[in-house]
Amino acid sequence: MWRTKGWRKIWTIATFEFLTAVRRPGYLITTFGMPLFMAGYAGIVAIPAYFASRSVREPAVYGVVDPGSVLRLQNEVRSSQSQLPEEVKRALETAGRGGSVDTGFMESSSVFRPYTSDTEARAALAERKIKGYFVVPFDYIARGVVDVYTQDTFNISAPESRNAFSSLIRERLVNGRLDELTSARVVSPLKETRRFSVTKTGQITDGGQAAGFVRIAVPLIFTVLFLMSVLMTSGYLMQGTATEKENKVVDVLLASANPDEILAGKLLGLGGAGLLQIAVWMVIVLVGGIGVVPLLMTSQIEMPWVALALAIPLFLIAFLFFGSLMLGTGSLGSNMREAQQLAMVWSLTAALPMMMMAVLLREPHGTVARVMTWLPFSAGPLIMFRASTDLDSLAWWEVVGSFAVLLLSTWLAIRVGARLFRIGLLSASRPKLAEILRQARLSS
Amino acid sequence: MVILAFDNIAKSYGDTPALRGVSFDVHAGEIFGLLGPNGAGKSTLIRILMDIIRPDSGEVRVFGEPRRREHLDRLGYLPEERGLYTKLTVTDVMTYFGALKGLSRAEARRRSVEWLARVELPHVAGWKIDRLSKGMSQKVQIAAVLLSDPELCVLDEPTTGLDPVNVRLVQDLLLERRRHGRTTILSTHQMNQVEALCDRVAMINRGRLMVYGEVDEVRRDHSLPEVRVHARGPLPAVPAVASAIDDGEGSWRLMLADGSAPSDALATLVRAGATIDRFEPMLAPMEDIFLRVVREGH
Repeated sequence: MWRTKGWRKIWTIATFEFLTAVRRPGYLITTFGMPLFMAGYAGIVAIPAYFASRSVREPAVYGVVDPGSVLRLQNEVRSSQSQLPEEVKRALETAGRGGSVDTGFMESSSVFRPYTSDTEARAALAERKIKGYFVVPFDYIARGVVDVYTQDTFNISAPESRNAFSSLIRERLVNGRLDELTSARVVSPLKETRRFSVTKTGQITDGGQAAGFVRIAVPLIFTVLFLMSVLMTSGYLMQGTATEKENKVVDVLLASANPDEILAGKLLGLGGAGLLQIAVWMVIVLVGGIGVVPLLMTSQIEMPWVALALAIPLFLIAFLFFGSLMLGTGSLGSNMREAQQLAMVWSLTAALPMMMMAVLLREPHGTVARVMTWLPFSAGPLIMFRASTDLDSLAWWEVVGSFAVLLLSTWLAIRVGARLFRIGLLSASRPKLAEILRQARLSS
Repeated sequence: MVILAFDNIAKSYGDTPALRGVSFDVHAGEIFGLLGPNGAGKSTLIRILMDIIRPDSGEVRVFGEPRRREHLDRLGYLPEERGLYTKLTVTDVMTYFGALKGLSRAEARRRSVEWLARVELPHVAGWKIDRLSKGMSQKVQIAAVLLSDPELCVLDEPTTGLDPVNVRLVQDLLLERRRHGRTTILSTHQMNQVEALCDRVAMINRGRLMVYGEVDEVRRDHSLPEVRVHARGPLPAVPAVASAIDDGEGSWRLMLADGSAPSDALATLVRAGATIDRFEPMLAPMEDIFLRVVREGH
């Protein structure tokens, strides 16, 4: 499409756009300010959450009225529950993050205080000395019915207290009636679950929750980053073009380079600025969460390396695809607001895989996923998603085919985008559809 | 040598024709005036030359070959509605425009400094564009166009808004280009500049070429049959002169009779005993020609 001289112009425009973008105060503030903002935001959210977690870990006291002595409670007893899978806890401990297990994620506990009568327990509840109380009737063993009395306010931890009370009942029922190990298994039948996955070839791989999490997280992060990149960079692209239209620099540009070269230069330059911004954020996130690296290294989690390797070319191609369409469409607007409105359709299209995520998670290789693999709007995230969740279910010809579709669509998108771009640049106001079609025919 | 040829160029915007079969040539090394009232089709013609828009029909030949995008680096263009990147420095903008014309960044930067000195603005190199006055900004734009030393350059109203000193500065730059064999197409409404600078002109009105040729020839062709005479004593009545107006101090404006040439009038006056110190055919000012063409077009 372009000769050497054309590439030189593209490079000149790309360099100019890149340097202009990265020197903007707004860009610098967003690039370096966003992590600070997010950290501050996280802090603001974390402070009340910390105090909330502290208050949760201060045991919630519940009363127990047990006239039939089913539970045989003499004094207060504590019941506690861990909320993390064992393998994640192990991985965190291996990574030297054991402390965070204790402080961050752990347990909510309940204390059960015996009361001799319903009247006594109700008085304590009315005085707010306890959060609620359970009444275990005489015929509990026969019917399994327990009455619960709580404060007349919303209590978010009500299910936890019921679970804790269930554990207490199990513990007390078997206590002294079975041997210690059997008692322990009755109370906690699944102390730890070890999970394995079997491939189509019969090979056993790690299949724990953490591995599953990584397999979903990688394409999810890719899709989110991709969306962020496309939306932010197209914002820069449209802003730059709207400014050039308003500044009347457009004719000078068009007298020096053709629309294809200008479009390509802008895409590369401002795309590079957008990608640099994301790279900076990633580095900050990685530095901030450096503890995750040893976790991944030591937890035997199999990383979806093929999907990660595919991410880079997919990212670039998909970015060029959406960027050129957004810039071409956006340039038809006479100002920034109109440009954003016009380009909105591509933002929504780019977000399609995110909108379909529930369906895709249910059936990563189902019909919907397979069809979306072949659509240029969703091919990038879908290849990543399918390669990450189960590489064996993704046929090589699907990868090659969707890459071909994506490349061809990108080439077409650049051509269409450039033509719209040319028409947009030469129109002071938003051109009508008939005028666009007429100009498109003339400029062909 | 023809450096640019428009051959039967036609262009319409919807149902409105902007150019209706315009044809003319521009020669290498001349300053060529492209004239016409607002909306005549000049900007459309320039945009077609720059390949910003395509003609509906006709052909543009540049440097002896059909117009191609590859010619852009040898062309310069200062549009009428011009602008610059207001948040960037003068040097950055000039360097960018130079680099877009094929110069290396280093060479473009070096020439930017040189050209800022030539337009007497060396002190604004590091200024942001939005700090420049209108006149300064205009000179920066002219310098940005000329720094790549284009073989063919189109300047659309380059001196509008400039004070007389800077008008002279810009005119000198154009004359210097001509001395170096560079071609300039000057689109302007200032007819005194056309008379002072241009070798040849083309005047367009309502998309049609109305006047085309050397400036003196055009002025002669469009002049009324008038001569100015400085004579000692009264002028005798001769058949070649239809009427005479005494402007005082021996200066006379003579309207020639139908079919009489200025040389006939001079010969008959001398034969009739008039003492003539000076005799000059009166050339119509370009402004009059412009007004006449525009009025006739309506």
